[in-house]
This record gives sequence, C-alpha cells and structure tokens, in this order.
Amino acid sequence: MLKIDNLHVSVDGKKILNGLSLEVNKGAVHAIMGPNGSGKSTLAYALAGRPGYEITGGKVIFEGKDLLAMAPEERAHEGMFLGFQYPVEIPGVNNVYLLKAAVNAARKHRGLPEVDAFEFLTLVREKMKVMHMEESFLSRGVNEGFSGGEKKRNEILQMLMLEPRLAILDETDSGLDIDALKVVANGVNTLRSPERSIVLVTHYQRLLDYIVPDFVHVLVRGRIARSGDKTLALELERRGYDWIIEEAA
Amino acid sequence: MASALATRIAAEHAAAAASLPTEVVSRERRRSAIETLATEGLPTSRDENWKYANLRPLEKVRFAPPAIGVPAGPGPGAQPSLKVADLPAGIEGYARYTFVDGVFAPALSTPVPRAGIAVTTLRAGPVAEAAGSRSGGAAAASAPGSRAPSSAGTDAAHASASARAGSPVLSSIRPGDAQRLKDARFALLNDAFATDGASIRVSAGTDCPTCIELVFVATVESQTASSYPRVELHIEQDARLGLIERHVSIGSGANFVNASVKVDIGRGATVNHYRVQESGAKAVWFDTLSAVLAQDASYKLHGVNVGGLSSRSTINVLLAGERADAAVSVASLGDRQQIQDAFVRVEHLAPRAKSVQTFRGISAGRARVAFNGMIVVREGAQGTDSQQSLRGLLAGPEAEIDVRPQLQIDTDDVRCAHGATAGKLDEDMLFYLLSRGIDAATAQRLLKWAFLEDVVARIEVPELRRQIERSLAGQMQEAAELQELL
Repeated sequence: MLKIDNLHVSVDGKKILNGLSLEVNKGAVHAIMGPNGSGKSTLAYALAGRPGYEITGGKVIFEGKDLLAMAPEERAHEGMFLGFQYPVEIPGVNNVYLLKAAVNAARKHRGLPEVDAFEFLTLVREKMKVMHMEESFLSRGVNEGFSGGEKKRNEILQMLMLEPRLAILDETDSGLDIDALKVVANGVNTLRSPERSIVLVTHYQRLLDYIVPDFVHVLVRGRIARSGDKTLALELERRGYDWIIEEAA
Repeated sequence: MASALATRIAAEHAAAAASLPTEVVSRERRRSAIETLATEGLPTSRDENWKYANLRPLEKVRFAPPAIGVPAGPGPGAQPSLKVADLPAGIEGYARYTFVDGVFAPALSTPVPRAGIAVTTLRAGPVAEAAGSRSGGAAAASAPGSRAPSSAGTDAAHASASARAGSPVLSSIRPGDAQRLKDARFALLNDAFATDGASIRVSAGTDCPTCIELVFVATVESQTASSYPRVELHIEQDARLGLIERHVSIGSGANFVNASVKVDIGRGATVNHYRVQESGAKAVWFDTLSAVLAQDASYKLHGVNVGGLSSRSTINVLLAGERADAAVSVASLGDRQQIQDAFVRVEHLAPRAKSVQTFRGISAGRARVAFNGMIVVREGAQGTDSQQSLRGLLAGPEAEIDVRPQLQIDTDDVRCAHGATAGKLDEDMLFYLLSRGIDAATAQRLLKWAFLEDVVARIEVPELRRQIERSLAGQMQEAAELQELL
C-alpha cells in the first residue's frame, strides 16, 4: 500500500524528518507516536502534499506510484485521506457542497458519473448517524463555528463518504472528551477492512484502546526509533518517551 | 479656478439649460451647482479620497442628458423598443419603477399603490402625464388620503420638488464640513443635469418591508449623452421600508451614469436598502449617496458592485440622532480592466449611535478594487460604537486591491473596532480543499465565492440574493460549477 523510504523533510529550512522509513501493508492499522516536535504531523502533511513541506530526500511509493510527484488533489484521487489535527473553517462554503464536490471529484477520477443527488443525501444522512451529527450541520459553513469535537467528527464523516484506501489521521483524538472519542473511534472502525490501511498519529495511548493498531511506531527526531505491536503503546503509557529518546541518542 | 473640464460642463449646461425640467431641480439650484463646480472643479486623482477612482473617462463624456421626448437615436426616445424581458427579473412583492436614461418609463414599470407610500416621479410634463393616463396614476401610486396621484400628480411633483430645495442632506451640512461637500461634487453634476427621478415618501408608522424596486437603465452612449438617476427618499417616524435599487445597461453598455441618492430617515424608522450596480462592460458609473438618520433610526445599506468598466460610489451616512444605527455592507468584484472604487464615510454626530461597515472585495485580471472606509466621530458623540471589517482579496498577479480604514475621533468615550486586510487566498483553506480531491481551479473559485458570500448572505430578499449570486458567479466565470451552490 505505502512504502516510505528514507524520507527527509524540511519546513522553513529546518530539518524535521531525517530518513524516515515505514511500510504500511493493505489492511493494516499503524499508530505513530512520539514526543512533541518529533515530526508526527510533518509526516502526515508531507504525505498529503502540503505546500511548504519540502522533500529533501527519499521516496514514497503509494499503490505502486510515486506519491511525491503527485499534487495534493491527485493524492486524494488515488485514495489518500488526511484527517486534519486542526480542521480549517471555510465560511461561505457549506458542508454538503464540499462533501458532494469531494465525492464527485473522486468519482470523476474513476470514470464514474456524478453521484445522484438523492442517493448522495441518503448516504450522507446514514453516515451522519454513525457520527452522531445533526441534520442542520449540512447547511452550515465548513467547520464554521464548530466545537473541537464537531470538527473532528466532521473529518471522520468526510472520510466515511470518501472511503479512502489509506487514511492518515493526525491527532484525531486531541480535544475530544471520552464520549466523542468513542464516536470517532467507532467511525474509524467501521472503515477497517482488509482493503484499507490506516495510519493514526497520536500522542496518547487512549485512542488505541478503541482503535486497536497492528503496529506501533515511535518517532524521535524525525525517524522511527522503535516499532512494536500494541503492547509498545501500553509500555509508553507506563514509562513515557524518555527511555526511547535516550536509546535513540 | 475652473478646469477645462468644468468649463466644458458649464458650456454644455448653458446649451441644455432651457430644456432641463425645473420641477426636477430648480433653475437656481442647477446654476448654483454649476457655479460650485466651476470654482471647485471636479475631483482629480490628486484628491486624497479620489486617488483610486478613474476620472479620465470624463474627458470624453458628453454631459448633457438626451433630449427628452425626442424619438431619435438611443435614449428615452428609443424606449418603446425596450421590453420588460430586457430588464432583470422582477422581485416578488416589490413594486417596480423603471427609469431609462434617467427618465421614468411607465411601460416598463409595475407600480402598486400602497397605503402610506407615495412614489412620484420628479418630472412633470409629457412623459409623466402620459404615464398617468396609461396606467392610471402609475407614476404617482399612493393610497387614498395621502399625496394625490394622477391628475394632481404634476402639482404634487412641483410641491415636493421645491420642498427638496432645502433637502435635509444639504441643510445638514454645517460649516466645517467642507470635505464632505467636496466629496459630494458628483451629486452637483447630477443637480445640474438631472432630467427625472423617483421621490419616495413613506408616512409615519407605515410598515412596508417588501416594497419598492427602482431600476435604472442606461442605453445612451457616453459620447452622445449621459444619464442621471436620481432618488429622494423620505421616511417618516417609525416607518419601515424595503427598497431595491439597481443599475443596468442595455445596448453597447458604453454609458456615463451619474446617480444621486438622498435618504432621510426619521425618528425610529427603518430602511433596508439594496443597491446593485451591474452596468454594462464599458460603462462609467459614478454615484453619490447621502443619508441622514434621526434618533433611533436604522439604516441597512447593502451595495453590490459587479458591472461597469469604471465605477465609483461615494457614500455619506450621517448619524444625526441619538442611538441611530447604520450598517453599510459593500461587495465589489473586479475583473479584466475594471475599476471598482467605493468610499464610505460614516459620521457620528449624536451620542450612543452605532455603525458597522463591512467590505469584501475581489480583484482579478488587471482590475483595481478599492475601498476607503472612514469613520468620523464628532465632539459630543459620546458612547459611539463603531465597527469596521474590511477585507480585500487579490486574485491575480496583475490585479490591485486597496483597502483603507480611516478614523477621525474627536471625542473620548468611543468604542471603535476596526480590521482591514488585503491579501491572497488563504493557503490553509486552499490546501484543505485540495486534500479533499477538489482541483486547484475549482478550489480557488470556491474560496473566492465564499469570501463574497460573507456579505451576500446578508441579503434578506431570497430572489434578489439568487440573482446577485448568479451575476457574481457569471462574473467569476464559474457559472457551470458554482450554479450548484445557488
């Protein structure tokens, strides 16, 4: 699915990722953990193609194609989805329009006709139920005036509508209370399938109680310092990051 | 010293003076307007408040209006060839009054008599009288018991015309208000040449939130003649009025239009005023609006500037009474080589009044879009609450945007919050849309759209809002994709 090989990324001339390598297979759920400033969000943004994230070395192959050669929208068309840590507010563009435009962009790429308006709304309503969202949300501006929790639920709703092959969720758990966390985790779990891969970027082990990962990686100073299974997250919860930082030094 | 331009204007005025209707503007007032223009000259780009306006096209304009009732060439004489279908679609519930090249066109109007509302054309004479006989007092639609329609229309027009000589706006100009007067010089040009106009009087306590639509159509080419839309609005105590005013071109669109609008809002009265400028692609459009608000009066002005090659709107709002409340929202869209310049001065004269100025402008192509928002708080206007949110968006490497807030505060107890920005599309928003698979061109259009929606969404007349959105979408050349949003 995704093969990252020796990736180097700089932001504003500052090196953030320093030779990161990671392979994500079809159907697998990977958790990326690590202390503040270790490069977790940078990895997520670099994979999604955010301007200003300069690739200074390495390769990324996504479904057999050179990911880094693609524009952000092409990455989305190929089935990549980034769940933002801080979803952007866009007053004046309403949610339902964005959802429809996004779904149609993906369909166009696959050579499919535009989605039928009625079927689309039926599907959105169904997914909104999964995310415990109210109907009125559809006509509101994208993330406009949403609470932190609503924004995160909206990210997962978009993901449910787009059914990506690879979802990268950047701190989707931050700012959520325990009930909202369960709703979000449940949303993510409904998408788990042997065909789909998920990369969870998170600070805390708590999310992993609800979305159980196949692999856990610890990022230190822009590279993976240690990998393991879900027990590694529990160990981090107990011991903190210092011992890995020391080991990596 | 008279500039060459002012001299030419005076000469054109002298030649046309005999045929200009005195019931619209008295001969004395026309002469005095010409004299002031001769002394002051028209604004030039050296004037601080005029540096973004395009004044050069004035050199080639023929200022005299088309001869009234002469059925030759474009202009009022050509009116019969204009059809209702040529005009923007009507808005349900609004009585329409159409003026072609500044003269009332009864055949294109659908007046509705309403209790407490007197709409009269400023001009008496053949056209207005014909209007009366054709549509049963069309030009003067009013309720029984209020101002007299049809047969007495001429007298009523005369009476109100002379009463207007001491109109509230001019009489409220005090010594020391020289700058305001200087910025209103294009209204003097309208005084000098106006051929007709609409006078709307709303009597005390009348409630008409869905009421009147004025459509000003320009057909005559600027090298032949000019067009002078004129509106005088008088709202008495505790009344409420919803007014739509739109400016369009039919034909080549190479018009010179110079509008003058005076708004006088009485105690506790409310006016919702929508103004849409969608002149032709080659039109030169000047506009002066002056509003005076009495105690507890409320004025919501929504301006949308889409059309024209070169457009300048000068808006003066005087908060003359305590707790008066004014909200001025302007959306301007410039593309190709358009110039959209708006100047808004809100002046607090009385205590505890409130004002909000909102501007959203987009400049694309090689256009220049400017907004100069001024707040003046005079001595004695304590407890003033004034807000300003001015934002310009640069949507092309060769476009220009100028957003300028100005504050002049002569009293201590004032709350003024103002923000002004001019910049490019928000990178974070753009990336968010791209990351959802939306292509770059669509994402940019969508964000431009969203930027203007901020102001457009405040238009509370659904059909008008739809029409404006369609017009904006067309201007943004995104009709196909953005139609879905509408």
